[in-house]
Amino acid sequence: MSQQSILQLRGLTKIFGQLTAVDHVDLDVAEGEFFTIVGPSGCGKTTLLRMLAGMETPTGGDILLRGKRINDMPANQRPTCMVFQSLALFPHRTVGQNIEFSLKIRGVESAARKTRALQLMRQLRLPENYYDKPVTRCSGGERQRVALARGLAYDPQILFFDEPLSAIDYKLRKTLEKELKDIHRETGKTFMYITHSLEEAMVMSDRIGVMRSGRLVQIGSPEQIYSHPQDKFVSEFMGEVNVFDVRLNGDGRLVSNAVPGSFVPPRLPPDFTSGYLVVRPESMRFLIKADQTENHVRGRVYNEYALGSRIQFQVRAGEQVFVVETLRQQMIGGRRDDDVLIGWNAADSILVTG
Amino acid sequence: MNPEGLLRWFVAGRRHALPLLALLAVGFAAPLFAVIAFSFAPPRTFSPWQTPGLTNYETIFAETYYQSFAWSLALALITVIILAAICYPLAYGLAKVFGKWANAVTLVLVLPLFVSENLRLYGWILFFIKNGVLLGTLKYLFGIEPESWLFTPAMTIFGMVYVYLPFMLFPMTLGVSMVPRETVEAAADLGANRLQVFYEVELPLAMPGIIIGCLLTFVLAVGAIAEAKVIGGQSVIPIVHDIEIAFTYSQNWPLGAALAVLLMLVVGALVLVVLRRFDLDRILKRG
Amino acid sequence: MTGQTSQGMKALLWAWALAIAVFLYLPTICGAIASFGASRYFLFPVPNWGLSWYEKTFNSIEIHQLLKTSLLIAFMVTIISVVIAFFGALAFARYDWRGRSIYQKLVLLPIFFPQSVLGLALLLWFNALGLQMSWATAVFAHLVWIVPVVTLVITIQVYSFDPALEEAAYDLGANRWQVLREVTLPVLWPGIFSGCLFAFLLSWGNFPLSLFTTGADTTVPEYLYAKMVAGYTPGVPVLGTVSTVGAGLILFGGYFVIWVLRNRRTG
Repeated sequence: MSQQSILQLRGLTKIFGQLTAVDHVDLDVAEGEFFTIVGPSGCGKTTLLRMLAGMETPTGGDILLRGKRINDMPANQRPTCMVFQSLALFPHRTVGQNIEFSLKIRGVESAARKTRALQLMRQLRLPENYYDKPVTRCSGGERQRVALARGLAYDPQILFFDEPLSAIDYKLRKTLEKELKDIHRETGKTFMYITHSLEEAMVMSDRIGVMRSGRLVQIGSPEQIYSHPQDKFVSEFMGEVNVFDVRLNGDGRLVSNAVPGSFVPPRLPPDFTSGYLVVRPESMRFLIKADQTENHVRGRVYNEYALGSRIQFQVRAGEQVFVVETLRQQMIGGRRDDDVLIGWNAADSILVTG
Repeated sequence: MNPEGLLRWFVAGRRHALPLLALLAVGFAAPLFAVIAFSFAPPRTFSPWQTPGLTNYETIFAETYYQSFAWSLALALITVIILAAICYPLAYGLAKVFGKWANAVTLVLVLPLFVSENLRLYGWILFFIKNGVLLGTLKYLFGIEPESWLFTPAMTIFGMVYVYLPFMLFPMTLGVSMVPRETVEAAADLGANRLQVFYEVELPLAMPGIIIGCLLTFVLAVGAIAEAKVIGGQSVIPIVHDIEIAFTYSQNWPLGAALAVLLMLVVGALVLVVLRRFDLDRILKRG
Repeated sequence: MTGQTSQGMKALLWAWALAIAVFLYLPTICGAIASFGASRYFLFPVPNWGLSWYEKTFNSIEIHQLLKTSLLIAFMVTIISVVIAFFGALAFARYDWRGRSIYQKLVLLPIFFPQSVLGLALLLWFNALGLQMSWATAVFAHLVWIVPVVTLVITIQVYSFDPALEEAAYDLGANRWQVLREVTLPVLWPGIFSGCLFAFLLSWGNFPLSLFTTGADTTVPEYLYAKMVAGYTPGVPVLGTVSTVGAGLILFGGYFVIWVLRNRRTG
């Protein structure tokens, strides 16, 4: 994978009347990488993607494709292709006709088109006899693949994905996520993907950008985002984590308004006085003795939830509701209304500000 | 406006709307203004380009034209009420019960709409007239010869109900189709009986369609003329007939125009008041 | 009772629909019966049957002229109205623009308007402009009423049109014309075709607007009306029945075509 930047965003901004949808976004996307922008609804990720694809005009800033400014280039001239949320397959055409559309527009003759279409269908594991099948009769997963094949047909430099998996059921989604990652590897193309699910992003992406209210608040590999979230928003975005406010005590330990006791901090960020402590559910354990871990809290089991191979417990301590996850085999836990001792090691916790 | 502003004003929506709006301006708005202009012209003249006056309006209020107005409004109202009762079960069937046959049934019911209304009314004459289909059969089978029902006010209403049925039916069907099945089921589940479900849920949710159907029927019925003439035998003179007389026998175009203006005011006021309150996107999308 | 309708209720509703259908078609059937009568006056039960009046009608030059006029007007109205209505429907439902909701109400106005009054108004307007009445003015008059109707018909199709389809086509490299030709028109085609049918049939059968604006030319409905008020002649039911059957064939034929093509597309 080349380290050259294929796409550069400099101060990219989009304003709709009073609303700033995208707020001075800077980003470098490397060629061949799978980059995902993750954020809650309304954070501006769709608007950002549409600007890159050419369906919205930026209010400010620049989009550079291989160093060349493409702000004013209309969508039909950009060497990029978008897979829409609704897939936007042409309902009046067959699978083959959909895939060949971009080639037909460009005047490629029929035999060459068909060869290319069949090649893509093989690559995307669509049976050859689907060539003449109307797209309206294809299943959800098949339609995804047709949409992808259509986008790949004329060999674009970047492929954009607008939450294409959001309307699909869980099992199919898991399968398609892995397939997308495989196709990315096989084609070697640059993929830019947007979703509201961090879990989905982490399965597929080389790098992730977390977006909030029009700004990219953190960019990094899935591992980096997961282990070192930059602030409270990013860490809460990752799903259920334990977060509570803390401040640094005179004796180098942390105290909290929400949880009784004092705690050994992990590595302190410079000039840290107060902020939030983040502990992941799987890093918390049920203790028999307090000194099994560096930090401990006494609480009461409120409820438990079976999550397949893991069990999740809700433990209330002070004003805080802790989420503790254990593997089913470990069988150390509690039952409802039990008084328990839970704890974590300082190295498994993260301090964030704001 | 600077050039760039001008260009942006011609956004896609406006551009696409222009041909239709131009047609309406020249073909609808302009003629209506022509009528208004004519109504102020001196009586028995044939051009609006003259000194305006209120003579025609005075004439209208002095004479008995209010009778034809009243007849037209009353007939239209009765027609609407009868049609609302007749069409609701049918609309309900089309929207909820007939399933995949609904389209075929609709097609069958729509076809008469495309046959000229005079023709259809004529068929009723053939049916009701002396020695016609109905009376001829009675005479042939039972030897009785009752009086023909034709050429009465009741027959006029019969004709109007017949002609305007599709205009009540289709908006109503659209309205009924807007009632989600699950909402009805929820109401029943919460303990409502059939009548309560109808009154509390189905009727209010179908109301936009029902109102549009009533409005459309009323407005068109107020402008009805063929029924009163052909099968009503002129036992009732609706307002449009008076307008027509003013234009033909009386050769008094300005008077006719003034009558038309009054009619337009009534219709226009009604339509504006009712249509204002509707979100057409929501209604038409469901169809 | 849940939202399900009972069997008894279903039967009642079907019976009601049947009764209404009979009610709607009865006059047309009477007309058909009358058209096969050989005698000069209408009597029921019909004493002698025959096709003599059909022969007379088909051989009449006057009738041929009428048919030509009606066809010409209907044809012109269909073509022009579908083009204007196509764009009008897109403005109605596809694009978001300021003034759209007022536009939507304006489009409806000619429909919510007594046709005879409209016909009269157009007569006055054309007169004030010094225009001569002919089939051309009748075409214009028909358009004023029919274009809004066709717009609504196409609009219903446009509402289920996914705008992402056009965006996808652009994204794949198509220019404006290609998008129109390859995506917009084909997908909206059923609505457009329905619009054509409506336009043709509504123009063919129209009386109030034609009455005031055709001038020296005469359409079939106008001729029938004149004959009707003058007194009975079997020529009227004949022409009427032919007209009705023709309309029926076009309507059912048209929808049959749509039905076949739709099945071929998905099947």
